Amino acid sequence: MGDDPAVTDLINIVAVGILLGGIYALVSVGLNLIFGVIRVVNFAQGEFVMLGMYGAYGAYAFLRIDPYLALLIVLPALFLLGAAVQRLIITPLQNEPSMQIFATFGLLLLLENVVLALTRGTAYSVPSQLAQVSVSIGSAQVGLVRVIALLAASAVAVALGLFLKYAMLGKAIRAVAQDRRAALLMGVNVDRVNLVTFGIGAALAGLAGCLLSPIYTLSPQIGTTFILPAFAVVILGGLGSVTGAYVGGFIVGMTEALAGYYLDPALKHAVLFAVFIIVLVVRPSGLFGQVGAEEVGLREQS
Amino acid sequence: MLARFRLSAALAALALGAVPALAQELKIGAINPYSGGMALYGDELTRGYELAAEQANATGGVLGRKVAIVRGSATTPQEGIAAVEQLVGRDKVEALIGTYVTAISNAASESALNNSKIYWETAALSRDLTNRGLPNFARATPSSDDFARRSVEGTLKLVAPALGKAPKDLKVWIEHEDSAYGTSIAKEQEKLLKEAGVQVGVGSHSFKSVDLSDSILRAKNFAPDLWLGTNYVVDANLLLRTAREQNFKPGAIMLVGTGDTFETAEALGKDYLQGILLVSYPRADISESYGPGAGKFLAAYREKYNRDPIAPQAMGAFVGMKILLEAVKTAGSTDYDKVMKAAAAMDKPLGTYETGYGVKFDDKMQNTRALPVIAQWQDGQVRAVYPAEAAGQGVKPIDLQRK
Repeated sequence: MGDDPAVTDLINIVAVGILLGGIYALVSVGLNLIFGVIRVVNFAQGEFVMLGMYGAYGAYAFLRIDPYLALLIVLPALFLLGAAVQRLIITPLQNEPSMQIFATFGLLLLLENVVLALTRGTAYSVPSQLAQVSVSIGSAQVGLVRVIALLAASAVAVALGLFLKYAMLGKAIRAVAQDRRAALLMGVNVDRVNLVTFGIGAALAGLAGCLLSPIYTLSPQIGTTFILPAFAVVILGGLGSVTGAYVGGFIVGMTEALAGYYLDPALKHAVLFAVFIIVLVVRPSGLFGQVGAEEVGLREQS
Repeated sequence: MLARFRLSAALAALALGAVPALAQELKIGAINPYSGGMALYGDELTRGYELAAEQANATGGVLGRKVAIVRGSATTPQEGIAAVEQLVGRDKVEALIGTYVTAISNAASESALNNSKIYWETAALSRDLTNRGLPNFARATPSSDDFARRSVEGTLKLVAPALGKAPKDLKVWIEHEDSAYGTSIAKEQEKLLKEAGVQVGVGSHSFKSVDLSDSILRAKNFAPDLWLGTNYVVDANLLLRTAREQNFKPGAIMLVGTGDTFETAEALGKDYLQGILLVSYPRADISESYGPGAGKFLAAYREKYNRDPIAPQAMGAFVGMKILLEAVKTAGSTDYDKVMKAAAAMDKPLGTYETGYGVKFDDKMQNTRALPVIAQWQDGQVRAVYPAEAAGQGVKPIDLQRK
């Protein structure tokens, strides 16, 4: 049975789907925190991933260090950038949720064009020895860097879930997400929580950028190619649910892989967003979201 | 004060009948993207124009006038139209040359026609550009059809013998990005390969794809002797990296249009690229007998810009500009109908110019003697290997079979 080419194909394509799911889960976990928990529709999240990738490239080009070591520089840098964005752009627009969306869209274009101006469109790649290593799992052949991304996504999902559930700051983040005013009355420093949450969300994007940099050739537009599927992942999985973002990543990855192979590569996104709409119609709160969670963002928050 | 002085000086010159000596510069507008993601190549083409203009000026200019290049930046078709209007209206250019992107060339050349100016193409590939039959439009450099034809020629004359297969036993997988660029080349390749009796499979993908594993699995299942790809840089790199991960080993790999710059070398490393064939514009390393003056071009480029050419398009643009200036000289005017007529009458054999091009325009004003060459990655360098006479001294095709 293992020799049946159709079965081998299926095993291969499922492996591809799972690994792609890992990539999407990794990219979405930070977005889920910012969009799902503190309710800011951050279109610039993909650009944070892009900056993470260029950070890894910069670390290689100037310091000759591996992208996995570059995390030590990129993560704190992205945390600071995220915190600055929250303080300078998001906070002043706190009472204008739709203006926040436009502001993050402006930030997307700003970051993309600054990188474009700096690189003049040259496509850079981060050489990593690991990028050349491929491992056989049964009849499936997979790249080691993709396996690392999958493991990292899993570890981050578990860690973030535990953090939100048990750590004091995690509890505070959830409290602010559920009811900003009540949290304030209970003595939670809401401004600080928002600042830190945005920072963590941006740092997670930086993590994704570093871990994915050995796979992709960098272009300033690469962030926008991730952002649409990432929003699909967060909404499919359920706003604010870490498990949802993780599982959502695999649903999106698997749908793309199966549709791309068995139907037509050109139909990948059409099939994905058809599934997306069906899930939303059947279950508006997403697969793992609390019923009604999708409405929290609309509640008066000031 | 200064303005008044200039005016009186000009009047004095007129009175003395010294106009020819003070003749205005012959301004040529160069439409290309000079900002944004395509600026690298827009700049590179224009360096070629500038070198050709300098060379012409060193020998007395054209029509007794000094040639000057004026840049008009266009990153979209709309900007292309605006740039033409501005160059003609404000800068008084007499001819337009370009363009790194087909869509920009398409719009800008129509705008040039509305302004009664010639539009001289030296880069954009789509065969449709010349098929429009615009009365002010000619392309001095290869079209997408020429790239497709050269790749099929290489398949039959280089790859098939190296793999010890007759065309009817040869299996070729054509992989292309699905915009007009990749699709037009792939369609022509498919037609020509099928005519030659080759077994063909075709796959397409979006160059913006996050993952191309499915494209690799499809190709892998076809078990091709040759994997023939027409892509942009980013997706070409992702395809090659995924092929390596998936342990996909076709008999040979040939890439059309891209895959021949440091951007791919950096992504894959020289060991993986070793032996991969590239259908590409002729580079400055081609033999002097094939492209006379290529070495001189390289020296001039290095002297002016203090580096090696970023891409081979610069030398193509240089030659394209030379052909335009020759047509203008013969026409004795920059009127587009006269220049087009002079260009149509040109008849120069292959091997006249630095790129190995000659000149003979067809009835749609596509130069039929502008052909790409086939190069090969050899120890981290791109070397022309086909036609054999294009290969530089001591350069020979190395084993193209994937290990």
